[in-house]
Amino acid sequence: MTGRALSGTKRESRLLRAFVQLADTLVDDYDVVDVLHQLVEHCVQLLDATAAGLMLSDQRGGLRVVAYSSAQTRMLELFQLQASEGPCLDCVHSGEPVLVADLSTEVQRWPRFAPLAMEEGFASVHAMPMRLRRETIGTLNLFRRDTGLLSEEDLLVVRALADTATIGILQERAIRRGEIVTEQLQTALNSRVVIEQAKGVLAFAGNLEMEKAFQALREYSRNRGRRLADVARELVVGELRPDDLLSSSPRPTEA
Amino acid sequence: MAAVRDSESQLDTLARVIRACVDVLPVDGASISVMSGPRERETLYASDEIAAKIEDVQFNLGEGPCFEAFSTRRPVLVPDLPQASALEWPVFAAAIAALPIGAIFAFPLQAGAIGIGAVDLYRRRPGWLSGDELAVALEVVDLVTAVLLGLLLGEDGDGLQDVLSPGREQVHQATGMLIAALEISAEEALARLRGYAFVTDRSLDEVAKDVVSRKLSPLELGR
Repeated sequence: MTGRALSGTKRESRLLRAFVQLADTLVDDYDVVDVLHQLVEHCVQLLDATAAGLMLSDQRGGLRVVAYSSAQTRMLELFQLQASEGPCLDCVHSGEPVLVADLSTEVQRWPRFAPLAMEEGFASVHAMPMRLRRETIGTLNLFRRDTGLLSEEDLLVVRALADTATIGILQERAIRRGEIVTEQLQTALNSRVVIEQAKGVLAFAGNLEMEKAFQALREYSRNRGRRLADVARELVVGELRPDDLLSSSPRPTEA
Repeated sequence: MAAVRDSESQLDTLARVIRACVDVLPVDGASISVMSGPRERETLYASDEIAAKIEDVQFNLGEGPCFEAFSTRRPVLVPDLPQASALEWPVFAAAIAALPIGAIFAFPLQAGAIGIGAVDLYRRRPGWLSGDELAVALEVVDLVTAVLLGLLLGEDGDGLQDVLSPGREQVHQATGMLIAALEISAEEALARLRGYAFVTDRSLDEVAKDVVSRKLSPLELGR
């Protein structure tokens, strides 16, 4: 058993909270990008993972990075897309989990990705497909500093989190309609662009780091029960003044 | 909007792209509309009379799938229009009841917060697109977006398709910083970034990175 971060009970209650939070988000009008960010954060907090990232299909034959727990994860995900190799791509193409206990044994399989990930200090990777029947709409990826695989129990948690997020994206009540997948995925990809623009607006107006700007944006949206993408758009088109947002949520709280 | 209308060669390109799209996909017609608001819109191209009629009816009534795609900024895909429209858009449904329209696929043309218009595809018989067909439709939407955004920015659309990719995170962040620093629109901010990159002979990504890391003040791009 490699150093599990949390004791049994504490972990259980956090796990419960994570599912309740994810489920809550899905009840009303929610924001896909926000849900996915929560998901990767939960993965890092709950599981024995150093970092997590999530890619979604762009439905044009490619994948896009939509959520990540750190800039470093984002870079690793983007690198796989550029190099056209890596565990996350294999996971999406096969629709099966790709579990790598020790990256140093996989240099032949991924001659570019494996050395880079190791250089960044990662030793093992778990890529879990986000699947709806035969279609794989994305992949949830965990990166760890230690070698070895997650326990069976933790893998179940990853799968349950990935499934919950998949259902969230597709809206359970309309899950049979193929077109819903497209509407949601395409909207999420465009939201990602607006959110980055909004981060820039806040970063300049409040002299903030991008991550802090994102926290402020999320905090404000959540406190008001608004969709992240809507608030972001209002900032970008000038309907909401950055100062008004920043003065109302002075300090982002810890989840 | 005037810039868009007046650029004949680009409009020809768009018409060719849309016609090719109709040829390749199992759809019977298509149209492109540009809009600057719910009441201000213009059909740039319609492949046939039914496609033109679909547009006109919706914008006169203020309801329908294409209208909704633009106003909600998300694709509105209706593989079985007769079934769906009576419930969701009753007035629109009544107005087009006599026309042979089985399905409508409406895609917003947008670049982040910049709303440009919509591409609408229709087919006579109901039915959904396959994964490959959908990929073609989305590529067409990307291409049309890049050409129209280029016209809005007052330049050709070269390289813009890529600029719009969600992967160009720093470009979008730098755009936001310019919006806040110079109090300009997202279109204008993107145009300034591209212009600055051009005159300083650097890549857009390099310029964006410098803005985000605060090596280059966005005020420098205000002139």
